[in-house]
Amino acid sequence: MSAISTSLPAGVQGLLSLATTATPAAGIDLRAGFSALLQGQGLSAGLAHALWLPLPMLLVLTAAVVGVLVTVWLERKISAAMQQRIGPEYAGALGILQPMADGLKLLVKEDIIPARADSLLFTLGPVLVLVPVILSWLIVPFGQNLLISNVGVGIFLWIALSSIQPIGLLMSGYASNNKYSLLGGLRAAAQSISYEIPLALAVLAVVMMSNSLSTVDIVQQQSGAGMLSWNIFRQPVGFLIFWICVIAECERAPFDLPEAEEELVAGYQTEYTGMKFALFYLGSYINLVLSGLLVAVLYLGGWTSPVPVEWLAGLLGQSIDAPAVQLVTASIGIVMTVLKAYLLVFFAVLLRWTTPRVRIDQLLDFGWKFLLPVALANLLVTAALKLSFPAVFGG
Amino acid sequence: MTIAVSTQLICFLALSATLLIGALGVVLLPNIVYAAFLLGGVFLSMAGLYLLLNASFVAAAQVLIYVGAVNVLILFAIMLVNKREPLRDMPGLLLRRLLSAAVCAGLLALLLRVALTMPWPTPGPASIGEGAVVRIAEHFFSDYLLPFELASVLLLMAMIGAIVLARRDVMNVDVVTGEPADQGLLEKARTPLLLSKDNPRP
Amino acid sequence: MFGFLRQVGDYTRDAVDAARYLTQGLAVTFDHMKRRPITVQYPYEKLIPSERYRGRIHFELDKCIACEVCVRVCPINLPVVDWVMNKETRKKQLRNYSIDFGVCIFCGNCVEYCPTNCLSMTEEYELASFDRHSLNFDSVALGRLPTNVTTDASVTPLRELAYLPRGEMDPHGVAADRRRAGRLPSEVAAEWAAPAGGEEVRP
Repeated sequence: MSAISTSLPAGVQGLLSLATTATPAAGIDLRAGFSALLQGQGLSAGLAHALWLPLPMLLVLTAAVVGVLVTVWLERKISAAMQQRIGPEYAGALGILQPMADGLKLLVKEDIIPARADSLLFTLGPVLVLVPVILSWLIVPFGQNLLISNVGVGIFLWIALSSIQPIGLLMSGYASNNKYSLLGGLRAAAQSISYEIPLALAVLAVVMMSNSLSTVDIVQQQSGAGMLSWNIFRQPVGFLIFWICVIAECERAPFDLPEAEEELVAGYQTEYTGMKFALFYLGSYINLVLSGLLVAVLYLGGWTSPVPVEWLAGLLGQSIDAPAVQLVTASIGIVMTVLKAYLLVFFAVLLRWTTPRVRIDQLLDFGWKFLLPVALANLLVTAALKLSFPAVFGG
Repeated sequence: MTIAVSTQLICFLALSATLLIGALGVVLLPNIVYAAFLLGGVFLSMAGLYLLLNASFVAAAQVLIYVGAVNVLILFAIMLVNKREPLRDMPGLLLRRLLSAAVCAGLLALLLRVALTMPWPTPGPASIGEGAVVRIAEHFFSDYLLPFELASVLLLMAMIGAIVLARRDVMNVDVVTGEPADQGLLEKARTPLLLSKDNPRP
Repeated sequence: MFGFLRQVGDYTRDAVDAARYLTQGLAVTFDHMKRRPITVQYPYEKLIPSERYRGRIHFELDKCIACEVCVRVCPINLPVVDWVMNKETRKKQLRNYSIDFGVCIFCGNCVEYCPTNCLSMTEEYELASFDRHSLNFDSVALGRLPTNVTTDASVTPLRELAYLPRGEMDPHGVAADRRRAGRLPSEVAAEWAAPAGGEEVRP
């Protein structure tokens, strides 16, 4: 921050901290800059820190919700294009305000709790579904210092948090006092815990190569030679397993059995309406964007661009430590992460509107009898490769 | 007292309170589903306590194993059985309750005595924070190798046992008619849907 | 051992096949993304019904002789012909005629068999109403002239796929004077009317 704070006035600095929040490599720390700014106004260090804390959280929460709006719009537009329709058109230019209108509608809808439902659990269920998903955004890095908390357990925290979700689904399924809801909740829980295992094994192979659970370290391990050092080339099988499992965890087609409308009406969300239903909806789409981001982080090099930024800066004769270059680098990092994530979201949408839904026994067969052995073999092969070629597969 | 310390204290108190109330609810509530959900809450607040102790890996493992697997399986079992009614009166319920209360009180007294008489080294060893993963792994593969491996053998045994219990015997002949039985439904074998030269109608 | 290896081989081939079919499916949907939407923005754009479209039935009271042929050929005897015998003229006098379009299946038999051609099919298909009883059209409602897509100023008429010029898939922006593919009915009729051998042709 020191480099920027000497060259820019304080107001611009505040804007900068919101716009970019941090910058890479050279260890520029916007948190320290923010604290220093507030302490310059005569606040204590602890208070300045406490004032800083909610800022990145709010920013990421906003990013997540805006990401959901964009994803919903994309989903509707892309699916329309695939079916040679037009899709949302009248709400805003190209229907861009349609998700907003949907959200508003859900917000003002009557909040119905069925008469024989368990009202406490019925209310708590959607919350338990949404909260872990939002918490998982803690560990998504958009740049070197550009994440809420670089906890050491990183990706493991996400796996742990995503295992809370089935409890919320079971809770809402049970509390609705409806056989379809209960079946949907049970299916969701079974599916979730079945696909968690190959998912964790695929992550483990990546973690083994980077020697760290931290998402920042995982990205840095892929940042050597631009696009060529991305994990997808070292872990193609792991990438596929992870992607399939993540889609199954998001309960999206072809794995949307818990909400299979032909069989279970709408599964665990049958009885829900208004904002509680919106929480489920929000949760599933935040989870989708989060999954895209995490696949980008684990396999597509996170914030690194296909051509290394350092190399480009050297080509243009700029020092990588110059404030302007650092700003550009940080922006490229954010754009790259989001771009990769949305590319994956696009593939998820493509997959959803292409594939038919699998049957429940096919789903469990696929998870336990195909993905799990393949993930184990992938882990074994990765370990062997790591031992034989430590230079390429992490030492 | 700095903000950090007071925040930590408040978090500790809140987590302990939820843990105690949740644990009491698990034991005392007549509705078994509520008890199971509260158990999840207890596990979660325990993970929070681990987090306060700077043991983030243990906390995440606690959430993954206890909340994500154990508690979900408990809930799963309860909901598959789906008994909504509370415990019915059975003969000698009061006696049973008194007995279990006495046992629990004895255990509590024992634990309290240990906790109070034990010369706790305060402050304990410094938290190693992020190095915990490495330290745990080292212990697993050196001095705790045998329990670690035994645990995995136990899990394997449980898995095989479950398969043996759940697997239905495949009958090759129909018991009544003596004809070869159609395994299509039982074993999910591929019964051809379309007739062709290769598989004429049996 | 060999059997096991073959099983593994079969399984692998199945998995690869499944992946290939999935990719094919994805390629199909991806390919569709570059095609233009075929959406007809309904209240503003409407497809022109074909010449032999069987829409709401038009009825001319003055032509009707109350013979009740329409009732007899109707699969469910739907038309209600309300007539009285006029003693002076010794003729049937029609008082009212009604068809319930909530029940009618638009088969066109009544139109086909009507001896005086007082019944005819129109191209009107927007029969939605708030009350099913208002679908029961009496002779006045049946006698109304049908609305026409091509003459309605607030509607952009679009040609159906079969009426588009050769090679055109999208009706948007196709000029009205461009000929449709194939021969027009009038041309077919003209060919029949002037046969090569001078024989009598079917009417």
